[in-house]
Amino acid sequence: MEMVSASIFQIDLPAALIERVKSGDSMAFEQIYRRFERPVYTLALRMLGDAEAARDALHDAMLKAFQRIGQFRGEAPFWAWLRQIAMNEALMRLRVGERFMVSLEAAGVDADAFADDAPAPWAHADARALERALAQLPAVTRSVLWLYHVEGCTHPEIAAAMHKSTSFSKSQLARGTARLRTLLDPETESVPCLMPIA
Amino acid sequence: MSDANRLTLGEALRALPLAAPPGDEWALLRERLNPAQRRASAWRRYALPTALAAALAGAFVVLRVPPASRPATVAHVAASSSTNGTATARIHNAQNAANPAELAQLQLRSQSLERWLRQTGRDAAPLQGQDLAAAAEIENLLGLVDVELAAPRQVQAQALWQRRVALLEDLAALRYSNYRLAAGGATAASWQID
Repeated sequence: MEMVSASIFQIDLPAALIERVKSGDSMAFEQIYRRFERPVYTLALRMLGDAEAARDALHDAMLKAFQRIGQFRGEAPFWAWLRQIAMNEALMRLRVGERFMVSLEAAGVDADAFADDAPAPWAHADARALERALAQLPAVTRSVLWLYHVEGCTHPEIAAAMHKSTSFSKSQLARGTARLRTLLDPETESVPCLMPIA
Repeated sequence: MSDANRLTLGEALRALPLAAPPGDEWALLRERLNPAQRRASAWRRYALPTALAAALAGAFVVLRVPPASRPATVAHVAASSSTNGTATARIHNAQNAANPAELAQLQLRSQSLERWLRQTGRDAAPLQGQDLAAAAEIENLLGLVDVELAAPRQVQAQALWQRRVALLEDLAALRYSNYRLAAGGATAASWQID
């Protein structure tokens, strides 16, 4: 039985299926692949912001999962183990692409400029608007937002994965949230529906 | 940011549809799995000689550790893991039943290694090329072990801690050569992990 809740990865698998993959059964692995293709691809896409890089990360993460499944001892759920592999693949590409160097601190966004009780524009934004706004964030900032809010990672976990400090993770979350607010706020980001005729 | 707003952003992000890759990626991946399986059998064929070679290389670091702090159950009999062959990881005599004293010793050993790695990380020259790739690979494997160690139920805790210590020792061996190079060889005699 599959159960999907907080993390997009949270899909339970029968232990027998994992055992079949451990014995080298690629057809059993296909079943795992089919269930996790979208979660892995989505995580990579949100972190990297690039479809081709996300596709490469999906391939490499799945290949490594297949090759390393013998090391999986079943103490943690399989989905958490696979998610770690997917995160590692995406983070490695962020570092190689030097996208790691750019964060919202460099962009000079002031997270304190927004009051705690300011209205949340994402509550009313449609999915496409939110995706467009996310895409405009630096990759590291977007990754922190995604790992914290969607994958439920803690700041120390994010900091360890990124080889950064906990305060870096916290500041990226605050600044990314503030930036999203600006990007989605119709007062500051609206496009008039009637364009002046040239 | 208030809790209500935080929840709202999390909910909004989680409500975004899952993205799908453009084509039939499984067909492409399947082609890569078969060579991977062949490599796995080749790895088994060459495991013993590779293991011996890597064990010799790693022995230098292990021998420098005071015997009292070395986990007695860890059998440094083999090495060489990972998909790209750059990192090494010892295969242990895994004991499923945890012995509290040995478990505590493994955890202490793990802490000592981590402390040493943090210190040398500050002093050593940055790793480059193959060493950097190997270190990244070992850190990724450590991340996978940590995922399992973070689980509430621990049946194979000892085996996991043994693996964690072995990976940290591999990382220390890698970092040690770099650390020594950065210090011009002067630290070779004084280097020791508590």
